[in-house]
Amino acid sequence: MGGTSETISSTFIEYAIFIVLLPMLAFPIILFLGHIFNGNQTWVKSAKEGGLIALPIMVATFVLSMLLISEFIGKGTGAHHIGDWLSFGWMSADGMTINEKVFGVGIYIDHVTVMLLFIASFLCMLINIFSIGYMNTDPVNDNRNHRFYAEFVLFCSGMLGMVLADSFLWLFIFWELMGLCSYLLIGFYYEKPSAAYAAKKAFLTTRVGDVFLVIGLVMLWNLFDSLDYAVVFNEDLIAQVDPEQLQLALGMMFIGAVGKSAQFPLHVWLPDAMEGPTPVSALIHAATMVNAGLYLVARMFPFFGAPSMQGDLVDLAFIIAAIGGITAVMAAAIAFVQDDLKKVLAYSTMSQLAYIFTGLGAALWLANTPGMEKYAIVAFGAALFHLFNHAMAKGMLFMASGSVIHEMHHAHHDVHHHDDHGDDHGDEHHDNHHDDFDAQSMENMGGLASKMPITATAMLVGSASIMGLPLIGGFWSKEGIIANAWRVALEDPRFFLPASCVLIGAAMTGFYMSRMWFKTFAGEPKTEVAANVHEHTPWIPIPLVTLTFVSLSSVILAGMMFTHWSSDSSYAFFSEKGLIDGLIYEFEHIFLNSDAFFFVLTYFVIFIGAIVGPGLAMALYGGSLKDGEKSKPWMQPIINLSSRVNAKRGFDNSAWANSGLSNALKERLYFDKWYDAAMLKLVAGFANISAAFDKNVVDGTIKTIESTSQKLSTQVRRLTTGSARDYIMMAALGVLVIYLMLEVMI
Amino acid sequence: MIDPAWVSVLSAILFIIGVWGAFTRKNAIIVLMCLELILNAANLQFVAAAIQHGDATGWVYAIFAIAIAASEVAIGLAIFLAMYGQHETISLDDVNLLKH
Repeated sequence: MGGTSETISSTFIEYAIFIVLLPMLAFPIILFLGHIFNGNQTWVKSAKEGGLIALPIMVATFVLSMLLISEFIGKGTGAHHIGDWLSFGWMSADGMTINEKVFGVGIYIDHVTVMLLFIASFLCMLINIFSIGYMNTDPVNDNRNHRFYAEFVLFCSGMLGMVLADSFLWLFIFWELMGLCSYLLIGFYYEKPSAAYAAKKAFLTTRVGDVFLVIGLVMLWNLFDSLDYAVVFNEDLIAQVDPEQLQLALGMMFIGAVGKSAQFPLHVWLPDAMEGPTPVSALIHAATMVNAGLYLVARMFPFFGAPSMQGDLVDLAFIIAAIGGITAVMAAAIAFVQDDLKKVLAYSTMSQLAYIFTGLGAALWLANTPGMEKYAIVAFGAALFHLFNHAMAKGMLFMASGSVIHEMHHAHHDVHHHDDHGDDHGDEHHDNHHDDFDAQSMENMGGLASKMPITATAMLVGSASIMGLPLIGGFWSKEGIIANAWRVALEDPRFFLPASCVLIGAAMTGFYMSRMWFKTFAGEPKTEVAANVHEHTPWIPIPLVTLTFVSLSSVILAGMMFTHWSSDSSYAFFSEKGLIDGLIYEFEHIFLNSDAFFFVLTYFVIFIGAIVGPGLAMALYGGSLKDGEKSKPWMQPIINLSSRVNAKRGFDNSAWANSGLSNALKERLYFDKWYDAAMLKLVAGFANISAAFDKNVVDGTIKTIESTSQKLSTQVRRLTTGSARDYIMMAALGVLVIYLMLEVMI
Repeated sequence: MIDPAWVSVLSAILFIIGVWGAFTRKNAIIVLMCLELILNAANLQFVAAAIQHGDATGWVYAIFAIAIAASEVAIGLAIFLAMYGQHETISLDDVNLLKH
């Protein structure tokens, strides 16, 4: 990145390919073993239907990744060329030289790679642990979990491969592999029409973006004759490229990123993707795959930082930031009215990814403007740090929501049995009562804080991290994103749009995340099922506790100057300036900024994000637990506070809840309807034209040929009299004709 | 020595008789006989040419044609027998099933 791309020679980089290959090899193994041992008790109980085959693979991947990261963290870039898989050439016009094109395979590592490699390998491993608890204890999944684990490891392979790839071509190949796995896993419950529909929708919507990505890559190829990072990031080569064409190519690639990261206007697939099993939502649709788009944009940084491009790409930077800003507010607004636990998180994911896009847009603008490079690195680091914080927190939130839904299912099962069946006990009835009870709806929850302490704590910390409560997780990075967006806005007035959006979004995030937590965990249980929930599924607490501590210890990472990783390594953990120096720098920078504007901005962000948003949520949804129930000491004060706020400041919001805007939000701002209608028009119109073409041109041609030959054949048929004598006559005439022809010609 | 031209005339007469018979007669056996006449007309022409040029090739062709004619007759008669078994007639006008 930037100017300090010092190349590191590493021993582990030669083994880095195994990070990708191990999960890829596990894919057929788990799939075929699953087919062979399906239903076998040893397979189901001891191997967890493949879960315990996937786990060591993911642990090995994580260990390899950590070894690799330890060599590169905060240091420089590395590349390892493994080989060429395709090369072709042709003579140039003068016949003297040969143009040779080579497609290579290799590993490329820099600060962005290190960050995403850690996120991907760490979360893949944790979510694998979570899956063993979540998937294998639900009888609905019996005898098909091997399919889940096989697709799971294939996905991990795709994500890790995309991160480690050394060219945009391989990035695209793994990008599509992830798209495929996303499709397969969303449609895991393929017998449900809604899941099948959601899988198709996700696949087709991201495909729209992918088409543009391909166009962008072809344009990039035209400009550079290569897609290898080593070539396209070369500043001398960038200097020979027309900036307008480069901007167009990068813009096309950005549309691909918009589709993958579910940004406006290609965001419609993400909420529906929640039809997949919760581990899938946690891994693919919160923590890793949706980051692929951000990764792609982050990869464009060298183009924006190149000296020859200064000032030429600011329009694209603005578009990136603006798309982010719009999505941040829109998704947060829709999250206000969602009752489905996972849908709230899905919209929150969209909103937070949009923050990162805004941060990246600001960083790219700064990188592309002369004299602002030093801020660009900080802004870029902040955006990447938010990516890290969001992935950790959102992965955890989804797993916690999975834990809640799982236990709600079990509780519903138990309650149902005790009410109706009495003695009849057996898991085979699990399927029979998929009645109108919705285990994902927050309307059926409430008061779970005392019943699910680990989950509630994880959810609390995760929500705090997403909201940006001071000192926890996302606070450090979100503050950086908002501050840098405003820094740009002061220079370029267009940026007031995204900068205002992310500022408003901070308050909105505070509201909808608090709303989710209070509706789920505070107050009295809203249903009998919620009153009977217990937290007793094995495996699930492991990742929740781990990620809780990761989110809480984000302050240490901030002290390690995560935000400066992108280039300035002088504050890195392993440098001579220690952790404490970094922490002091960070605290001073954020809380005692010498610039009056940013000083005020910081406290304003804290005020609206940590007090106004949650305060409103408390007033509307707060409440104390049932009498006699007590939650853990770190949650009890919050619940008590919420019930006090609710009692004193509670107000009636039914006017708002029944307003047109609220209904519009419930309908997701009608995007799906518009898209469906537009698609219907488009598809129906195209179908009509094709039908006419088929009827008149294609069928017409064939019918003409057919009728002509039919007419001809009725004429010719008359010659076939059936009399041997006529045939002899014809043969004789034929001979005569041949004789005459020879006579004439010779 | 007979002038080869006369032999050719005889051959032509035989050929015309053969073609006429093949075209006009209904009886399959007579048609077959007429075909033999055509073949023999050709043989005669071969032989006449062989004598005239003093070349044995014509003789060889004639002997081949005789052998082929013999086998042709065998096959032809077998077909007529089968035809008679099926239709109880060997009149060519009544055997026109190939028409459609």
